[in-house]
Amino acid sequence: MTLGTDAAIFAISIAAGLIGALAGVGGGILIVPALTLLFGIDIRLAIGASIVSVIATSSGAAAAYVRDRMTDMRVGMFLELATTTGAVAGALLAAIVAPAFLYVLLGLVLLGSAVMQVLRLGEEMPPEVEPSGLAARLRLASSYPDARLGREVPYAARRVPLGFVLMWGAGLVSGLLGIGSGALKVVAMDGAMRLPMKVSSATSNFMIGVTAAASAGIYLGRGDVDPTLVAPVALGVLAGAMLGARLLPRMANRHVRWVFLPVLVVIGIQTLLRGFGVGS
Amino acid sequence: MTGDARQDRLTPDQFRAVVSAVLRTGVVTAAALTTVGFAMSLLVGWEGSLLDAPTATSAPTDFSQLLSGLLALRPVAFAQAGLVVLLATPVLRVATSVVGFWLEGDRLYVAITLAVLAILLGSIFLVH
Repeated sequence: MTLGTDAAIFAISIAAGLIGALAGVGGGILIVPALTLLFGIDIRLAIGASIVSVIATSSGAAAAYVRDRMTDMRVGMFLELATTTGAVAGALLAAIVAPAFLYVLLGLVLLGSAVMQVLRLGEEMPPEVEPSGLAARLRLASSYPDARLGREVPYAARRVPLGFVLMWGAGLVSGLLGIGSGALKVVAMDGAMRLPMKVSSATSNFMIGVTAAASAGIYLGRGDVDPTLVAPVALGVLAGAMLGARLLPRMANRHVRWVFLPVLVVIGIQTLLRGFGVGS
Repeated sequence: MTGDARQDRLTPDQFRAVVSAVLRTGVVTAAALTTVGFAMSLLVGWEGSLLDAPTATSAPTDFSQLLSGLLALRPVAFAQAGLVVLLATPVLRVATSVVGFWLEGDRLYVAITLAVLAILLGSIFLVH
């Protein structure tokens, strides 16, 4: 690969890391099409690079999000219980279930969630509730400092069982299809558990690295991760994610949703098309 | 849970600082190794060696030559090492959280995090 190609991949990766850090997703939506369509790189290696980019986005952004109290570590750890067991179940089922059907189903779920997102576009904060039942027992209630509003914002998770089941589904999908499913995680936390958008995004970011790390070993062992290709991707994504993590605390929740919504729609359409055999 | 605060040996803020430091250290180490590998590749190519060892015969996607490659100062081995550190960072973060919740005195979350760590390590090492 020439230095020019590396520089172009590096630049695109910065954008992927930035968007990923803000939207709570891994940036695979940008990395995979860019590598395959613009640079003619084998889809297998492109997906290997995107797994690395998910981990780079997650760790690069989470270092700041954890320190700035944007990430809720209890919510993240509790839900990782769902995503990791879901991912194992998915990996075991992968040989049995037809991927095409799954892609279509997931695509419809994501586009359906996009409609729900449109309905919440103007909303800055979910309605405040007292933590009750499971949320209180599991301590899924906290507060975060909102630099934009200039105050501490308390929040409590609602509909914990629904959130857990959605997260299990997100893990299942990752295990079955080998994708990060960050979008589904944000939907579960924002839509079902009604956590503030910034907390949902930052906590999803925190979690996707663990989901991706669980499957990264498989990709590495299969020879799908080419370090000469991944070097500019990882460096670019890390830079972008660190930049994004500096921006998010200062953004309004409703503006974060404006970043997330188009990402959700694009992922939904990509997934649906894949189910019909179009694209990768 | 707040009742046994006297047992807490780690405040939530300290806990966060430690987890954040683990993530930052992992990311910076990975980026440094990758950057060094990339810079070296401009001198001798990815498969070459700064010690003039013969050009690597294994594919860059083959991580089994990582250690010998590092000793031979092969650029590709440095990029591989950067990747391994990057991939290990989330696992280290979960392991750190186990200790953190323990020191915070939250036994429920020690159990939850241990379960996640066990599943994670199982899926990384048992699948092969």
